[in-house]
Amino acid sequence: MGASISDLGGGINMSERKIRVLMSKPGIDGHWRGGIVVSRALRDAGMEIIFGGFQNIAQIVESAIHEDVDVIGLSIHSGAHLAYTKQVIDLLKEKGVFEDFLILVGGVVPAQDFPALKEMGVANVYGPGSMTKDIVEFIQSKIEK
Amino acid sequence: MSKKYDIDNLVERFNQGDKFALARLISLVENEPEKAPEVFKHFHNKHHNSYIIGLTGSPGVGKSTITNAITKRLLKEGKKVGIISVDPSSPFSGGAFLGDRVRMTEISLDPNVFIRSLGSRGYRGGLSRAVLDVSLLYEAYGMDVIIIETVGVGQSEFEIYNLAYTIIVLMVPGYGDQIQMEKAGILEIGDIYVVNKKDLGGDDVAAQVDLMLDDACYETGWRPPVLMTNAITAEGIDELIEYINDHEEHLKLSESINEKKKERFAYKLKELISFKIETILKTIITEDEVERITKEIIAKGKFKIYDIVFNIFNEINFNI
Repeated sequence: MGASISDLGGGINMSERKIRVLMSKPGIDGHWRGGIVVSRALRDAGMEIIFGGFQNIAQIVESAIHEDVDVIGLSIHSGAHLAYTKQVIDLLKEKGVFEDFLILVGGVVPAQDFPALKEMGVANVYGPGSMTKDIVEFIQSKIEK
Repeated sequence: MSKKYDIDNLVERFNQGDKFALARLISLVENEPEKAPEVFKHFHNKHHNSYIIGLTGSPGVGKSTITNAITKRLLKEGKKVGIISVDPSSPFSGGAFLGDRVRMTEISLDPNVFIRSLGSRGYRGGLSRAVLDVSLLYEAYGMDVIIIETVGVGQSEFEIYNLAYTIIVLMVPGYGDQIQMEKAGILEIGDIYVVNKKDLGGDDVAAQVDLMLDDACYETGWRPPVLMTNAITAEGIDELIEYINDHEEHLKLSESINEKKKERFAYKLKELISFKIETILKTIITEDEVERITKEIIAKGKFKIYDIVFNIFNEINFNI
């Protein structure tokens, strides 16, 4: 066929932008419930969740870029939240894309670690007892549709 | 926070192979399709050289896991692979849980792979409206193979037929009896039939598909093969790759590949035209007009509905 790619592309206005969120579990602690429950709440609030499951740091950053997400959600229950979060943020900065993402951390994170996480560049932290409604509202307030 | 999309800059980076730019351009054609012509005008000199494989089947049959297994093999051959995975958007909230990528974690870091998950966003037929445009971006990017994985489908979602060259229909053990096999729809579109999860049985399903396929005529000369796989252990994947290659060769030798490409263009053309008509109709038959007509129908009795609709269309002037 001689036709070129430009002949076929686009021209339909039926879509609408959605807030896209990568939900990932750095490391291999087996506590999936939290990430799943939050994903469900975000889905029900009209967002598109890309569920990454267990991913290493490079995989998290790569998926966030490829999927062009607005939010990176890290669900951590291993106690290694400070180390993993720092590694993700360092790699995002190294690739020059840190500013493109809203970073949220959730899981078994003690309140005394919240300031350190925010200092690194995490937008908000959700420890045990957090309300999904608050997460939804926080994201909606930060991401312009 | 809001992302900026400078098309000229993105296209320039895209042409240098920057995946970040590819990702952004995909978002652009997905979210703001009215800007797509502005993107695609840069690709006049690029051609349709990617080979497109479509994977379809019910939810949970292993489409993403098979995509992962096939891609691993293609990467060994040195091919560049673009994957489009569609999952359903909620008709209630518009949100989606895109859970295909999680099956492909092991290939996700390969420099020759790009995976994009799409919500169906209300589009019909197990796809998203953006699928064709994303596949065009992959072609322009220089992917050797594009794999389109549909939503988990039922019996009658087969739009993928128009957009891919080799269609793989996936089934699992316990799929159904001989009567199910004879039903029209999804079981007519396969170029290759795969019974996955063979560790759970499924010889009967494979045999019944085979029998069903014997009942049909194949004008193009390709009689779809049936095979059994276990996508997790990669059992049967070599065989599947061979069949895909055979089918590609068949399409090229019989020149039916041109028919397939034509179908892809025709599909988009019809899509664009029907969208334009829909837009025009919406300006003519407004919500108020619908309200007025509904009242008229109620007043005159519902058996007048055909006459009323006929009159509406009689009055529409399509000379725009």
